[in-house]
Amino acid sequence: MGDLLQILSPSFLLRDALIASVLVGVVCPLVGVYFVLRRMIFLGVALPQVSAAGIAAAFFAYQFIVGPHQQMVGNEHLLAMVGSFAFTMSATLMLALLERRGRETVEARIGTTYAVAAAATILFLAKDPHGDAQMVNLLKGDILATTSASLAWMVVSFTVIGFALLAFRKELLLVSFDRDLAIVFGKRAGLWDVVLYLMIGGVISLGVMTAGPMATFGFLVVPPVTMRMITGRMMTFMLGSAALGGATAFTGFYCAYRFDLPLGPSEVALSSGVLLVAWLAATARRAIRSRRSP
Amino acid sequence: MKPAIVSLEDVRLGYAAITVLDHVSLAVARGEFVALIGPNGAGKTTLLRGMLGLIPVLAGRIEYGFDRAANPPGYVPQREALDPIFPLSVFEVVLMGTYAKLSPLQRVGHAHRSLARQCLEEVGLAALAKRQFWELSGGQKQRVLIARALAAGPEVLFLDEPTAGVDHEAEQTIIDLIGRLNRDRALTAILVSHHLGHIQSLVHSVVWVDDAKATKRSIEDVRAEEGVASLFRARH
Repeated sequence: MGDLLQILSPSFLLRDALIASVLVGVVCPLVGVYFVLRRMIFLGVALPQVSAAGIAAAFFAYQFIVGPHQQMVGNEHLLAMVGSFAFTMSATLMLALLERRGRETVEARIGTTYAVAAAATILFLAKDPHGDAQMVNLLKGDILATTSASLAWMVVSFTVIGFALLAFRKELLLVSFDRDLAIVFGKRAGLWDVVLYLMIGGVISLGVMTAGPMATFGFLVVPPVTMRMITGRMMTFMLGSAALGGATAFTGFYCAYRFDLPLGPSEVALSSGVLLVAWLAATARRAIRSRRSP
Repeated sequence: MKPAIVSLEDVRLGYAAITVLDHVSLAVARGEFVALIGPNGAGKTTLLRGMLGLIPVLAGRIEYGFDRAANPPGYVPQREALDPIFPLSVFEVVLMGTYAKLSPLQRVGHAHRSLARQCLEEVGLAALAKRQFWELSGGQKQRVLIARALAAGPEVLFLDEPTAGVDHEAEQTIIDLIGRLNRDRALTAILVSHHLGHIQSLVHSVVWVDDAKATKRSIEDVRAEEGVASLFRARH
């Protein structure tokens, strides 16, 4: 109880990290619902890896152009964010374009993207020993390194993206659920796809920079998959996923702080625990229903 | 002769380099009930999608006797095309029809909700508004999709095999509903079907689609031509 009161205190030393963690937990599932609904969950694995490759590329470029670097501070942080954003956006837009025009399957494209991104990350880091240490921190979840400046940038970006997702939800739903009807209605389906993918790219870039690829993927996918078992309403699905992500992020942070555990894996393990409980409850409910029906 | 609501002039339709239909010239009059009939794979759905603007016209031109931007057509797709992963209530599905006339950032208001409820009443499913869309029977789902099309406030309704995969009773209910909408609302209806069956007493014209051609005939002519009529019945 004392630890809980401590992390809720305004003077809590890791307050920025806590807020950043909860923000990632809330906003990632908001875009993650479209991964689930469009059956592109593996994109949630590939894009964070692409984002990580972008960060590795930025470190490599920095070392190549400027020289050896230390921990992510000042310009290096900005450079890493540019690398992450550029790679994620490029990959997202390319996948969006190929979704409509490519001949191979979506899974093949996503699998290839993941393999290329993972290989690129390792190759870039092989030539940059300083970046290697930073990547390990990122993969574990470097959220404790959140600064006031990066948090402010994140709050602004996530607020804009969160509002856009809610404001454009009818267009995004229509294009995702019944693309033909959207076209018949004169909606620019391709444009809405790009808008959605840009928001996804933005969230993933910031998520990976803040919480690492693993936690980002966990929050993109696990809360929406859990909520899909619970609700049959679109709005409840969206808001419930965000609320569940936020709650597990907060609780995960508390557990990591209380029991001295790595943050990202704690959050993902907790989300997975909630998913397991929801699955067991849904299975039990179905079993009871089938027994009652004649 | 009433003015045409959709007219095709020497139209070629297909996918990439493959021509499915060629030299199609026909007009659908306002208030007409037209059935697109033909064998599997003949190009009925291609013709419907061409009329809806879902596939590009490779040659010729299609003209509309209504303002498509202000008043988009109603479209009832094959229900199998929709993915059950979406958590949607019956009311949420119907409400989507009102998006036709809503601009981005414009909120779904009381009037839109009220219209969606009216449309659901019109197809006789108001009591199921809160039910999960995917829990309904095939026939009920099809009526919900018709309600969604009506919620767009269309002048013309395009239906892609609305009775496919439903039982005899549901088929009759759906056909009666479309017939009533055509008669009472003077709503133009263009429907894809494998056979004339139940609809032959309701449709005004038939477009026979086969061998890369589409030919329109009045239902009286079809009935008079025993060969074609028997073919339709045989498929039923």
